[in-house]
Amino acid sequence: MTAASQKPQLSLDARLGLDRYEIDAEQSHIAVDHDKCKTCTTRPCLVCCPAIVYRWTDERVAVAYENCLECGTCQIACDHGGRGAITWHIPAGGFGIAFRYG
Amino acid sequence: MERFDVIVVGAGPAGATAGRALAQAGLNVLVVERAATPGAKNVSGGLLYSRAVAEVYPEFWKHAPIERAIAAHQIVMLGEHTSTALDFRSAQAATPPFNAFSVLRAKLDPWLATQAEEAGASLISGVNVDALLVENGRVVGIQAGPDQIGADVVVVAEGTAGLLLKQAGLRGPHNPHDVSLGVKEVIALPPDVIEERFQCDAETGAAYTLVGSTGGVEGGGFIYTNKASLSVGVVVKIDSLYASGRHPHEILDAFKAHPLVQRLVRGGEVVEYSAQTVHRGGFHLATQLVGDGYVVAGSAARLLVNNVLTLRGMDFAITSAVEAAQAILQARFAGSYTAATLGNYVERLKATSIYQDWRTFKDAYGLMENPRLFSLYPDLAGEVLERLLTADTKPGSKALGALSEALKGKASWLTLSQDMLQIARGMVL
Amino acid sequence: MNIVALVKYSRDVTEIKVDPATSELRTAGVPERVGLIDKNVVEAAVRLKEATGAGLKVIALAPATARDSFKDVLAMGVDEVVLIEDPFDGEAEAGIVVRLLEAAIRKLDPVDVVLCGFASDDGYSFQVGPRLAERLRRPLLAYARGITPEGGGLRVEQNLDDRMQTVTAPLPALVSIDEEAFPPRRTTLMDALKAKKKPVNVWGIETELGLSRADLESSARIADTRLTGVVVRRQQRVLKGQDLGAMADELIDALEQAGVLKGAA
Ligand SMILES: Cc1cc2nc3c(=O)[nH]c(=O)nc-3n(C[C@H](O)[C@H](O)[C@H](O)COP(=O)(O)OP(=O)(O)OC[C@H]3O[C@@H](n4cnc5c(N)ncnc54)[C@H](O)[C@@H]3O)c2cc1C
Ligand code: SF4
Ligand code: SF4
Repeated sequence: MTAASQKPQLSLDARLGLDRYEIDAEQSHIAVDHDKCKTCTTRPCLVCCPAIVYRWTDERVAVAYENCLECGTCQIACDHGGRGAITWHIPAGGFGIAFRYG
Repeated sequence: MERFDVIVVGAGPAGATAGRALAQAGLNVLVVERAATPGAKNVSGGLLYSRAVAEVYPEFWKHAPIERAIAAHQIVMLGEHTSTALDFRSAQAATPPFNAFSVLRAKLDPWLATQAEEAGASLISGVNVDALLVENGRVVGIQAGPDQIGADVVVVAEGTAGLLLKQAGLRGPHNPHDVSLGVKEVIALPPDVIEERFQCDAETGAAYTLVGSTGGVEGGGFIYTNKASLSVGVVVKIDSLYASGRHPHEILDAFKAHPLVQRLVRGGEVVEYSAQTVHRGGFHLATQLVGDGYVVAGSAARLLVNNVLTLRGMDFAITSAVEAAQAILQARFAGSYTAATLGNYVERLKATSIYQDWRTFKDAYGLMENPRLFSLYPDLAGEVLERLLTADTKPGSKALGALSEALKGKASWLTLSQDMLQIARGMVL
Repeated sequence: MNIVALVKYSRDVTEIKVDPATSELRTAGVPERVGLIDKNVVEAAVRLKEATGAGLKVIALAPATARDSFKDVLAMGVDEVVLIEDPFDGEAEAGIVVRLLEAAIRKLDPVDVVLCGFASDDGYSFQVGPRLAERLRRPLLAYARGITPEGGGLRVEQNLDDRMQTVTAPLPALVSIDEEAFPPRRTTLMDALKAKKKPVNVWGIETELGLSRADLESSARIADTRLTGVVVRRQQRVLKGQDLGAMADELIDALEQAGVLKGAA
């Protein structure tokens, strides 16, 4: 693959910007037990989220829940490859991602 | 407490179909969907296999919002700079009863939900079911915010995540080894460009299944033609994904950067980015389908046929919902809704042809575990053909010679023949 | 007491894209819905209903096919929706809209309080409230952030941008709701189930309102010819460096040069 012949790919932010969300400003649908993360060395949450909702900042996991695509990967990855710190709820009724195509 | 005969959780293909079938039989049915509009939370690659669906929704292609009838299926092995393809075209697949249609869930699911409503089911969307109400080990209704609603039976059709079943202790944890993440883009292109590029006409379209080029991560890619867009995505195993250390969108980008894929999506405008998990379809992953006061339908029960080349979850969901509804009607006749009376669902499901396909392809699961399928063989196939097709100054070789050249240092003949046998078992025999 | 809330079925403004080449707004295919401003209106109306025990109807101008879009509004606590079948497909100028709404309100007589948005989500013309108040010959209590029934009338807190003003007025009156003043409530499953049993009545402009389309059309004074986005050009400069202090100085210099900061040094 020659990099030169490629049209630049959209950045992840640009892609998420294409999507339609009804953001719940009142509450996050993702809870992280930060104490559990302290002993987590693998941190799969940082890798496997298609929206990079999880970032390691200031010695803990920061959660940008408003970008969540509601795929369910992080829960499975953290339960098995991490420390089971994530509790992922579905967002309040009608809130969150709203795909136009799907 | 407000009561219904049956409450259905989720208005995906399984939930909508169960709601319709039960309402048609005259039951008082409530279908609850968390998305503001059905389908707005749902993602699939997008091929709806039509045979089983047409039994439930006769000639649905005349009414349902389908995109294109898939008349050409390309199976491609992507090497790093090569692609080796099998091009299957069937004129039959372009005429009733067809084989498969490309669909977009944000359009299909509302149609399915409307069928349920027209049959008399009450559909409430934009409301979460927060819990299954369990009394003495028996599901007796649902909790939704402050409201409790009772029912004789609850049809759990909540999709892959299956959070309600987990919370109620009715299913075990998901294993990242058994679940894949699909990341997808919908890429808009004018219909005439699609028709020319994919060699199809206004009604028909093509599907590409691509093996390799997920950067060694176990999985594959797909490109399906819609009316005025392409569905392009990769599906990767979750444990393999986080072991790779690569972000899902980067794997998708690398896939899109492959020369073959690039050529197909060229000039298109990305209009949506989406993601969803899907079970890998292992027959052994089957979960409990019934219990006292509830049945599980569709992907919430991990029902999915996956033989590497096709992924059939939507038609399986629809079939399972119909069988679940029939079993509920039988149980209603008997006047009790226990695991035993509802158990007929399992028997009925086992008799369906899609279930038998599921069993038939159970060896495909092992095949997908074979790492060589995703990295070595796509390259190998390309290399062999390159040797055979390229006129250079080195002496030419016959196929076998080319293969053994290409194989050198990568795998033994023994491994190769064992793998071929496995492939044959998984998909053909 | 009877309350009527006016709700616009408007284009989902978050879905409108600007054509990068021509700056024209791409409105084709943009879905319509009950906009957020209008949900604030409904919330204000429901609170007033709860405080007074009044009856509450919504009047909306929309295609008959939009029926289902009003289930949320009904779930919030509205008793009935009157849907005026819009012959102009959302394109009518404010003068015509006001005549249609006036006719519908008169038909629902007696109506003590009419509530509407300070503007609509998509049209944003700010005209409907004032013009309708004039036609109905009622006091207009604009930009309301608080509404309390008081002594047979209303006490309203108005947002006048640089100050708040509290006024009272007797009924009948017309109140326009300020932006984001009444965040819509979240509805429950039972609310939604009850809403299913509430009526959405479709009124034709000729059959129910006794207006003639031709007459309305000939009263139009303003025609839309082109819709473009306004492009704001921003200067973007990324400051790079290691020394935060030096970078801060650089930033201040840059802002001074651009005329944003004056004489800070
Ligand atoms: C990337 C990818 C590609 C795929 N490709 C294909 C393909 O090409 N062909 C194919 O046939 N299948 C495909 N599938 C599989 C297919 O999408 C699923 O098998 C199918 O959607 C299952 O239908 P369902 O009705 O069981 O579940 P879903 O379609 O997931 O529906 C579940 C519904 O329940 C709702 N819900 C969940 N929890 C709650 C709650 N607590 N309260 C209220 N509502 C709730 C959800 O919003 C959703 O609408 C693919 C899947 C993925 C992820
Ligand atoms: S994987 Fe789980 S435990 Fe590990 S860092 Fe992420 S959230 Fe914490
Ligand atoms: S559900 Fe998916 S998109 Fe949302 S945070 Fe988890 S991994 Fe990311």
